[in-house]
Amino acid sequence: MGPGDLPSPLRITAHVLFNRVEGGLNRRLGLALARWPTSEAGQFVMLSPGPLGPVWRSDPLLPRPMAVYRERRAGAGAELEILYKLHGRGTQLIASARVGDALALVGPLGRGFALAPPGAPAILVGGGTGIASLYALARELAARGPVQVLFGARSADDLMGVSDFEGLPVELACATEDGSRGARGLATALLEQRLARATPGDASPWVYACGPTPMMRRCAALCAERGVRCAVSLEQPMACGFGVCLGCAAPLAGGGVALVCRDGPVFDAARVDWEGLR
Amino acid sequence: MSGAGAADADAVDSRVRLAGVELRNPVLTASGTFGYGTEFAPFLDLTRLGGFVAKSLTLLPRQGNPPPRIAEAPSGMLNAISLENVGVDVFLREKLPALPPAVVVIASAFETEIARYAEVCKRLAGEPRIAAIEINASCPHVEAGGIEFGQDPRVLAELVRAVRAATPGPLLIKLTPNVTSIAEMARVCEGEGADGISLINALQAMEVDVETRRPVLSNRLGGLSGPAIRPIALRMVWQAAQAVKLPICGIGGITSAEDAVKFLLCGASAVQVGTQNYLDPTRAQAIAEGIAAYAARHGFARVADLTGALEDPPGKPR
Repeated sequence: MGPGDLPSPLRITAHVLFNRVEGGLNRRLGLALARWPTSEAGQFVMLSPGPLGPVWRSDPLLPRPMAVYRERRAGAGAELEILYKLHGRGTQLIASARVGDALALVGPLGRGFALAPPGAPAILVGGGTGIASLYALARELAARGPVQVLFGARSADDLMGVSDFEGLPVELACATEDGSRGARGLATALLEQRLARATPGDASPWVYACGPTPMMRRCAALCAERGVRCAVSLEQPMACGFGVCLGCAAPLAGGGVALVCRDGPVFDAARVDWEGLR
Repeated sequence: MSGAGAADADAVDSRVRLAGVELRNPVLTASGTFGYGTEFAPFLDLTRLGGFVAKSLTLLPRQGNPPPRIAEAPSGMLNAISLENVGVDVFLREKLPALPPAVVVIASAFETEIARYAEVCKRLAGEPRIAAIEINASCPHVEAGGIEFGQDPRVLAELVRAVRAATPGPLLIKLTPNVTSIAEMARVCEGEGADGISLINALQAMEVDVETRRPVLSNRLGGLSGPAIRPIALRMVWQAAQAVKLPICGIGGITSAEDAVKFLLCGASAVQVGTQNYLDPTRAQAIAEGIAAYAARHGFARVADLTGALEDPPGKPR
């Protein structure tokens, strides 16, 4: 998809519809936007680190990149859902926002996922907060072909949005490191089983992964061994989200770097220099 | 002059002159924080800014540092991008023509050797779309053992002399704050024929991750920018304004029209908005409009009259 096909981002004040505990440190934020172009699955927004108050606060300074989890049209605007995890001061302050509070938002940003062709099987691998980048994709893909969703997290409490995915026509499997939900172990083990199960002649699946770097690195390797197409959604520290701070560089396999915000966040896993990525 | 009544901001004359360039208002955007301009077209009207300083250009395209390149700091951020850019020729051929004709463009030049700085200036000098050249003097000078060009008055003098000879057009020197006496560096620029100075660039800084016991940035050191550096920047602009008659462009942690006015009062003729462009890509235009509102509110008919209009503290005349 060329840059001309993506909607222009806008900077807008968003109002909190809900901001609730989702289990453990996970939170679900609902935002009302008066204007909004339709975003594509895998795009993200930059969210002010905390609600806007009568006095502007400069600490923490930088907005936080957040995947658009779900989007519902509402007239010229939309309601956005964002799943996030309390991680540091920025997310703690975002969690303090109450219904009606305002947050500054810039988006939609980046390039989303290329959809598998109709009928092609898809496997989505989500680890921890990476799951939040995959719901819109799962919903779109489920309308086109068979979808397997493989989730991994440290424990059941760290899994995000599982009940939403259970409401989709997808096959869902979980793995937790402490065995508190699903198989004990990693989501990548589930992927390895699924890929090994395929027999010659089966349509090659499209694999999509978002999660910790070691998880995506393993997904990329498993897919590369079998010649399976794999798309990953990367995360790097970023200040702007629209290609000017140049902070979010990710090293490429052929040398050089790409900007996660502008050239990604979704990349073909074969393009990424997995050893150089930290 | 305060309390003179709410005049109409539209009636205020916002035009200022900086280094011989007429600007429709005093708000520019800082090099490295505004890309090549077009990235901001979705967010603001580029023709409503005083102008913008494009990303620093080197003779050849240049790749930046490996990640991590940025880190957050209290009311600020560190960056160590290492001036990744498309190179001067691609800028002239592809980036510059993409900008609306009414946009005032200041090019920024940066290199590792003085002769190369001069060559970048020569290539920029003939281009009518470029209103001025700003020299980024914060680059480490390899021959001088890695010290920034702008940190040694003799090296800085040599640099300004060389770029002055390379371009007849308006020439701004962007000074590093990593010096003992900013006044001395300002005098060097004045003595060597610069048309103005821009200050400050980012402050050299460092951040550490205690879990990994490593520097956060791959480059170890980075430049601190954002509101955290604003009082230092104001101090340096004030000191430079006391030392030279050169027009000054004030830079450092500007987030609002009031912040910008502080720089004007300390002696700047114009300002540059930097890090704030990342947080709020619409802000530079709002700051430009806010300065006119401030002038109206305080009874200044011309924004240019705010320059150097700082009052003495009570009981402490200069």
